[in-house]
Amino acid sequence: MKMANVMRIFVVTAILSLIGNFIGFDISPIAALPGMLILFVLVILGYWLSQVSPIKLPSIAYISALAIIASIPGVPGADFVNQYTGKVEFLALTTPILAYTGISIGKDLGTFKQQGLKIVLVTLLTFVGTYVGSAIIAEVVLRLTGVI
Amino acid sequence: MRGKSELKVHLLALVMVIIAEFIGIKRFQVGPGTVLLLPMLYALVIGMFLPVLRLVDRRDMDTASPFIGFAVMYLTAKMGTNIGPNLPKILSAGPALILQEFGNLGTILLSLPVAILVFRMGREAVGTSFSISREGSLAIVADLYGLDSAEGRGVMGGYITGTLFGAIFNGLMVGFLVATGIFHPFSLAMAAGTGSASMMAAALGPVVAAYPEINTELTAYAASSQLLTSVDGLYMSLFLGIPFTEWLYRKLGGKPAEVNSNSAQSGTGHKGGAKK
Repeated sequence: MKMANVMRIFVVTAILSLIGNFIGFDISPIAALPGMLILFVLVILGYWLSQVSPIKLPSIAYISALAIIASIPGVPGADFVNQYTGKVEFLALTTPILAYTGISIGKDLGTFKQQGLKIVLVTLLTFVGTYVGSAIIAEVVLRLTGVI
Repeated sequence: MRGKSELKVHLLALVMVIIAEFIGIKRFQVGPGTVLLLPMLYALVIGMFLPVLRLVDRRDMDTASPFIGFAVMYLTAKMGTNIGPNLPKILSAGPALILQEFGNLGTILLSLPVAILVFRMGREAVGTSFSISREGSLAIVADLYGLDSAEGRGVMGGYITGTLFGAIFNGLMVGFLVATGIFHPFSLAMAAGTGSASMMAAALGPVVAAYPEINTELTAYAASSQLLTSVDGLYMSLFLGIPFTEWLYRKLGGKPAEVNSNSAQSGTGHKGGAKK
């Protein structure tokens, strides 16, 4: 996709998030704007890196790494990053994602219905697997290291 | 006209966000956990009615699908900025805490074989099975496969299931495990940190209730594990979870990916996803 188109979508999504952040969490768009701009820069940089870097990784791997580094206490500017991104609510960023998903999902509704119950059951199994898997390893390591 | 469709999709999304956020977060206490209704769910449900109301057509759906991947990038950045401030604490975690993180991959061994061999699921199984389908998993699937792919339906279904029933289910499950007495309470507390705050609270509840005298230690273990998962979860899934799931999927004889899928490139428009 052309970079101009990509930029336009990033800007629109940021505006949707700011509006959601205002309505849902009472944080004025002006107060949240610096934080949103910081996220915007991180997203653009990460996306750009994923396009030009010789190491082919999904853009979210780059974006996440940049965001982590930029917010580690002691890193120049980290206090600034943490103070302002705190004004953009996590949940306000999820609503536009699901709005676009909602618009595009119509064509899959039939399959969704057909697979729905199976997906629900397998999801419940993932909760069991994740929890029990972690508990087994923790139990073994805690015993081996003599903690319990 | 592509531009007209794009404008329409953005305006629809705007209206959906406004309505969804106006309704706001609703909580219901049910048994051992809370049912949480979030604005994003309302946005999704509104979207499902759009074709019925003839407000969107097939072209609009195709227009909207790559936007999902871009919107997810903001969420990824925000998650990252939540991790940085906690990184120093992570580095001081003990070996048990760190190693139990790999237990989060244990889910694949349980859920994927059931999904394929028992339920005969297709590629949806990949999206549902590789993790507990929280926000980071949505981001990964959106980036690699597109959220409107079969894998995307899998992770979306898992995400909705977890948001609605995750806390209750975890509360019940851990209550049962506490009663069996197989695991030490420290292990149970560490396992509670699976990457979802509401699920952690629900999973820790029965452990703390059974061992109130070590309440502070249990809470600290759960919180540290939760923090670790929030840090490593994305990379763990991306570099270990997804490749392992794809490998096991082929070994179990799962159906190949849809060739005609229009979402292979639509996630973010960049190449190099797990699907060609």
